[in-house]
Amino acid sequence: MIQLRDVHKSFDVRDRKTRKKKRVDAVQGISLDVKPGEIYGLLGPNGAGKTTTLRMIAGLMKPDAGVIEVCGLDTRTKGEEVRGKLAYLATDMQVYERFTPREQLRIFGEMQGVDPATAERRGLHLLDRLGLSDFVDVKMTSFSTGQKQKVNIARALLHDPKAVIFDEPTTGLDVLTAKTVLDLLQVMKQEGRAVIVCTHAMPMAEDVCDRVGIIFDGKLHGDAAPKELLRSRNARSLDEVFFQLAAESETASA
Amino acid sequence: MRGAWLVLKKELLELSKDRKTVFFTFALPLILYPLIFGVMGKMAMRDNAQRKSKPSKVCITDPGSALTPFLQADPKKFQIVPTPEGNLTKALRDKVVDLAIDVPATANEDLKAQKTLTVTATQNSAEDDSELALKRLKDLLKDKDKTWVDARLKALNASPDLATPSRVEVKNAADLALELGKGLGIWIPYILLIGMFTGVMNHGASMTAGERERGTLMSLLSTRIPRPQIAAGKLLALFVLGLVSALANVVGTAIGFNTLAGDIAKASAASGTQGSASILQMASPATLGLTLLLLIPVAMMMVAFILAVGIRARTQREAGTALMPGMFVIILLGVFSMAPGIEKMAVVPYLPIINASVAIREMFGQQFNAVHYALAFGINSLLAIGLTAMAAKTLNREDVLFKS
Ligand SMILES: Nc1ncnc2c1ncn2[C@@H]1O[C@H](COP(=O)(O)OP(=O)(O)OP(=O)(O)O)[C@@H](O)[C@H]1O
Ligand SMILES: [Mg+2]
Repeated sequence: MIQLRDVHKSFDVRDRKTRKKKRVDAVQGISLDVKPGEIYGLLGPNGAGKTTTLRMIAGLMKPDAGVIEVCGLDTRTKGEEVRGKLAYLATDMQVYERFTPREQLRIFGEMQGVDPATAERRGLHLLDRLGLSDFVDVKMTSFSTGQKQKVNIARALLHDPKAVIFDEPTTGLDVLTAKTVLDLLQVMKQEGRAVIVCTHAMPMAEDVCDRVGIIFDGKLHGDAAPKELLRSRNARSLDEVFFQLAAESETASA
Repeated sequence: MRGAWLVLKKELLELSKDRKTVFFTFALPLILYPLIFGVMGKMAMRDNAQRKSKPSKVCITDPGSALTPFLQADPKKFQIVPTPEGNLTKALRDKVVDLAIDVPATANEDLKAQKTLTVTATQNSAEDDSELALKRLKDLLKDKDKTWVDARLKALNASPDLATPSRVEVKNAADLALELGKGLGIWIPYILLIGMFTGVMNHGASMTAGERERGTLMSLLSTRIPRPQIAAGKLLALFVLGLVSALANVVGTAIGFNTLAGDIAKASAASGTQGSASILQMASPATLGLTLLLLIPVAMMMVAFILAVGIRARTQREAGTALMPGMFVIILLGVFSMAPGIEKMAVVPYLPIINASVAIREMFGQQFNAVHYALAFGINSLLAIGLTAMAAKTLNREDVLFKS
């Protein structure tokens, strides 16, 4: 359902001090394939290129090389159609604070091609599942981080997407709220959607994901079930795999 | 284009939640301008009435008492004050006296001998009070002249018409409505330009950098609405706001001018000049319609500029700062377009925005020039299309959207 073939992406950044342009190779040849009813965990240290990868899957950024397909649609040429079938939750996404959850859900439902009444019904159902039904008609200025994140999640899932890509959905949430989000991911999986989550919470990844891949130096490592990965690397936890990869990267560059 | 429509709807809905901004952008001009013009008119009227009700302070040297009795006979118009000691010029400047009159000692003899009586009046033409005093003296002498001439003619046994071989009857062709319309025509473009820009500047910053700063831009971009349509929706929303705030400014100015014109008409009726003036006489529906049509490309230019600049900024505040030079340019253009005589400059019809100001001014002065109008509309439209395309392109750039 979500396919990446040898995807590359780099950025030009300017060093303010030396005034020189620097090339940041954020993603250097990543290939992966996520099937319906599967949760894929995309892991990696800060600045590894996870967010960049998700942005490319959502068609918001164009890869420099390689092909990305969602539901058989090329994200480069069919960006709009892809976004019509995909739920994207980013870390830098916030709610429209001037609206109430109900108002925002109606607006975004319409934007995603769902009639406002259906959008409202689906959105309210999702908010109910996330435990926010008492606040649907409250202006969001007063909302806490977690409450806002719940609205964000409901907004992303409004249009019955076939593919779901969530960037750090549980960051900033307490364990109970995080649990409701993870439960929701399980429901998504059971409903046959293809799910990719980026996270820094290793235990959660081990628990929830059917497969994990670790981006290190712009390349994908692992790409196996968590148990399998631990066995093949002779590690006790995903954290340990991280340390191994970091050590390997250092010796490779030395 | 359904996506653009949805984005427009979202923007306007979001704006409607911000009552304070709505008030300051749209309701304030409707209250402020009538207030300013109303107070201005009332003050001018009161000043005028006050001056007329006060006698002029005159000092007079009249050894033969040829004129003094006449002045004394009209205490409503003349108050005789002692001749100031020292510098007369200074006394006039300090408004101790309004007019100094010097009548020769031989005045009565001169009159009897049928010679010309020369009265010297020293005034300060920079002061309205002094001007009024001089006018009053001239009126008085004119009146007296008539009696003196009649007496002289009688002594000669001649007809009273002898002294008036010809006469010009003057009817003033200056139309009060037209004069005021010209004034309005100079003001309107200035107010429109500035009103429009200030009306949309903050919303523009909020819709672009503001959305980025508040973290909502990404969620909008992650919908299936194509980016050009998101750009179009935002441009349209700003465009609508621009026109609405322009309209609010014009209506406010019109109401204000209407009361001012009423006051002026009343004042001039009191002083004998004929004429009435209402806003409907100054601006016909055709003038208003053509003005609005001409504003469309100008508003599009502004809106595209604001969007293109706004989206490059990181924060709303930064966007506001980046848009300030635009504001200054608009004020400069506005002031330039108010300058008298610029319509005579050959390049003006080709200068964007200014040509629209001048075309509007011509219409309000009832001197519609089709060529100027067409040039203004054409040149501004071309620029508007170019700028709009540029703004849409900017909103599609990865490095702008994902500014690090
Ligand atoms: N718009 C951009 N312009 C320039 N460089 C960028 C841009 N976006 C990302 N980068 C760079 O690309 C690299 C990967 O960034 P990315 O955000 O994908 O990392 P990440 O894996 O999501 O990290 P984190 O866990 O901290 O969120 C980083 O070095 C980052 O500085
Ligand atoms: Mg990230």
